[in-house]
Amino acid sequence: MKRVEIDIAVIGGGPAGLAAALKARELGAEKVLILERNIELGGILQQCIHDGFGIHRFDKRLSGTQYAQLFIDAVEQSDIAVKLDTMVLEIGADKTIYACNKSEGMLEINSGAIVLAMGCRERTASQVLIHGDRPAGVLTAGAVQRYINMEGYLPGSKAVILGSGDIGLIMARRMILEGLAVEGVYEVMAAPGGLTRNLVQCLDDFEIPLHLSTTVTAVHGRKRVEAVTVAQVDGAMKPVAGTERRIECDLLVLAVGLIPENELSRAAGVEIDPRSGGPLLDENFMTGVPGIFAAGNVAVVFDLVDYVSASGEIAAAGAVNYLRGKLGEEKSRRPVKAGENVNFVVPQRLGRECGETTFFLRVSSPQKAATLSCCSGKKLLFKKRCRFLAPPEMLTFTADASGGDELVIALKEEAGRR
Amino acid sequence: MRKIKKALQKAFPKVELSVGLDDRGILTLYGECASWQQLVDIGHKAARLPGVENVVNELRVAGQRIPQKDYRPLRDAGRSRGLAADVDVLIIGAGITGCGIARELAKYKLDILVVEMSGDVATGATKANNGNIHPGHAEKPGTLKARLNVEGNRLYTRWAEELHFTLQRCGAMGFITSRWLWPALLYGYIKALKNGVEGVQLVGGRRAVELEPGLKRSAIGVKGAMWLPTMALVEPYQVTVALAENAAENGVRFWFNCTAADILTEKGAAVGAVTTKGIVRSRIIINCAGVYADEISAMAGDKSFTIHPRKGVIAILDKARSPAYDCLCDHVTFETVRRTLQKSYTKGGGMCYTPEKNILMGPSASESPDKEDLSTSARELAYAMGRGDETIDYSDVIRYFAGNRPADYSEDFIIGMSPITAGFINVAAIQSPGLAAAPAIAGKVEQIVAAAAEERGEPLERDPGWEPLRLPQPEFRHLSRAEQEALIRKDPRYGRIICRCETITEGEILDALRSPVPPASIDAVKRRTRAGMGRCQGGFCQPRVLELLARERGISWTEVTLKGEGSRILLKSNRPRAEGGADK
Repeated sequence: MKRVEIDIAVIGGGPAGLAAALKARELGAEKVLILERNIELGGILQQCIHDGFGIHRFDKRLSGTQYAQLFIDAVEQSDIAVKLDTMVLEIGADKTIYACNKSEGMLEINSGAIVLAMGCRERTASQVLIHGDRPAGVLTAGAVQRYINMEGYLPGSKAVILGSGDIGLIMARRMILEGLAVEGVYEVMAAPGGLTRNLVQCLDDFEIPLHLSTTVTAVHGRKRVEAVTVAQVDGAMKPVAGTERRIECDLLVLAVGLIPENELSRAAGVEIDPRSGGPLLDENFMTGVPGIFAAGNVAVVFDLVDYVSASGEIAAAGAVNYLRGKLGEEKSRRPVKAGENVNFVVPQRLGRECGETTFFLRVSSPQKAATLSCCSGKKLLFKKRCRFLAPPEMLTFTADASGGDELVIALKEEAGRR
Repeated sequence: MRKIKKALQKAFPKVELSVGLDDRGILTLYGECASWQQLVDIGHKAARLPGVENVVNELRVAGQRIPQKDYRPLRDAGRSRGLAADVDVLIIGAGITGCGIARELAKYKLDILVVEMSGDVATGATKANNGNIHPGHAEKPGTLKARLNVEGNRLYTRWAEELHFTLQRCGAMGFITSRWLWPALLYGYIKALKNGVEGVQLVGGRRAVELEPGLKRSAIGVKGAMWLPTMALVEPYQVTVALAENAAENGVRFWFNCTAADILTEKGAAVGAVTTKGIVRSRIIINCAGVYADEISAMAGDKSFTIHPRKGVIAILDKARSPAYDCLCDHVTFETVRRTLQKSYTKGGGMCYTPEKNILMGPSASESPDKEDLSTSARELAYAMGRGDETIDYSDVIRYFAGNRPADYSEDFIIGMSPITAGFINVAAIQSPGLAAAPAIAGKVEQIVAAAAEERGEPLERDPGWEPLRLPQPEFRHLSRAEQEALIRKDPRYGRIICRCETITEGEILDALRSPVPPASIDAVKRRTRAGMGRCQGGFCQPRVLELLARERGISWTEVTLKGEGSRILLKSNRPRAEGGADK
């Protein structure tokens, strides 16, 4: 078995992993290694040929592939080691990584610190309790995107899309451009799941109807999808009898949510936050296992790649400091609590002297105007007015959160502005 | 016959029905009833009446069209193709039963052909089975089911050794937490003894906890238990693939996408069949057609039973949710006893797990008229999910699916040479415990075929070249790191993981694609290798499996199907491709 000694091992060569590796090297980590299961770097960005990436970071509208290439070029110009077509099988208790590929066989990688950057996976038909038949023609939006954009094949001629998350909206437009008919986008929630700009640019501009509080209840067709049944749902999200409608189609595209891919993390002993779906993290994006950090969608599903890259850099800085012994073995970490109208906050806990810390959070329900507050006990650390808040859009702010006790982050609605 | 009619009219006063009874005790029901469930209830009631061996149910349901397969166009198409094969034995159906029989008969000098209407082995009741190799304690003593179950369970050890599929003798335990339920255990114990179940024991609470330490963890006050050490687990499709591959290595041929549309007879003897691939001449025809077995038997002039499909829905849970017990544990309560005493035929299953440690919930059980309806509903899933403990949650479910049990009205196996058509052997109504009984069923059919050959004056001859062993294929996920390293050094294709959820390598998928009965669809690859069976359900690996499948079979991407004919995944290319169809 080939043994590799490395300072920082980055698992996953998507936007989070690329940013983490570059940052770690920049901050002086000597030996950085990216382990990527695909045959190229870039992760899911390689199938994102639409634009809108990099607005915050580069003040430019790039395609996913362009955005990724900026980082890939930088990695190629650096001395960061990359192993492609390499699958990490296990992270052992002592942070030993086992990975394999065709050319080197089994690898045992010992590293000073690990950055988890495995991304997320899509929820499937069974996970949203769609019933009826199980024919060909039911695919997740990401799979459809891969087939159309990377492989060059069309998996249907007339599609129904379930889920108004960004991937669903992007694929609605993409399928129209490829000559497919898109009957409509159906969303079980009362509010759209995707960014406003995508609702406008992908649905409105192409006259694709969006049906809120409506879901697909059954698939029909024993071999290939022939139709689906949609029904309106009540407040408890149960289908309302009598509202069923049968829609002829040959493709059902599912954009019903993303799940951080934390199987490796769990096996390594990393504790998961049931609300974010990612590891419980501190201000350095370090997990509960000292020396293991998380970045990007494995930590929490971000809405923008810019934040994914930023989280990679936070984790990388943490990993470098960990290597230098600058991260104390803090036993007691202060919790960060999600207060009024906050669904979750990352990081979930803080060291006593955490300093300037970037927080990422999502609201529970839409608000036209609200005041974001970050309090430690009675002490107000940060305050900001926010407008047009919606659960799909991530909120982020940076504040010095050193000292004090537990933190509460809340969004108070501004009176008369509902 | 009058008595029978009277009894039925008394039980179902509102139903207009007439009956016919032949000298074999086959009762045929005619008339019209109110619902499909009532039709099934009448059939069951009739089958229990004295003097009735089995029931042909020709009842109609008022205002409901019961789907019927139209064989005429298939038959015409098959006839027009002329003679396609001339064999010694024709087996119809490639489920566990058909493949088991093919494998056992392959030890003789016989030319054997298996025809299967779908595109792969194990696509009917077999694949929707929960993989339990029951000890045989639950069957009614004296039935064929009981005898073949116990014998089949024992024979699995040899099958597993020869064919290298996974067999886990996990054992099973029915435990009580109230002393008042000892009579229920005793009743079960005596039944198990009557059936000849090996190793069955009644044990006290302390011993029960020794046998199953999980009971200690869950801190249930166990008062006693029935211990069934022979309970075992398999993956049903893995067993079937192993049988088919070994059969094929010994010369058995498999024709897929080939429906039997008629049975040809001459002077009361079978001489062949019309299939959609042409006429197949054969003097021995073995009917293992599952839910279609009654229709195939009727084609042979032997209309002596009716199959009423009984749908079962099973939910598979994520491996992150691990089983609480090592053996299959069943808490015997007053409620479960009451349910058993109801004598319902529609009992479903509870909670168990697969050899790969995925928990299975269900199956449910509901009568449905359509043999090819494998749809699921919220109600059936709720039934399956409701059979476990309260810690099980819908968020643990990674997949659910349905299968149709081929039940007849006597609710026993039908195995034997037809008294109407010589050479035509029914192996029908093989529902639970059909998987457990499979080796014994194969042995019994082997005897029937041997006896028939003897009678004809052409006794079966052993094939000296018969190879009972099927070589094991590497399963990367089960190897130690050092073994994995050695395997990749030997063949680098084992170093490339295609399915990340289940850790399935390119080497394993290629092994399957180059096997004696190669998979022809994405689902067929999944059943052989587990690629796509995990929590992401192929979201990541499907394009990669598709690529390998297209390459190995020499077909274009758009020709690859999910589950056989009519289920293409990609409809067309949206880019210019190289000439000659080899588009990727």
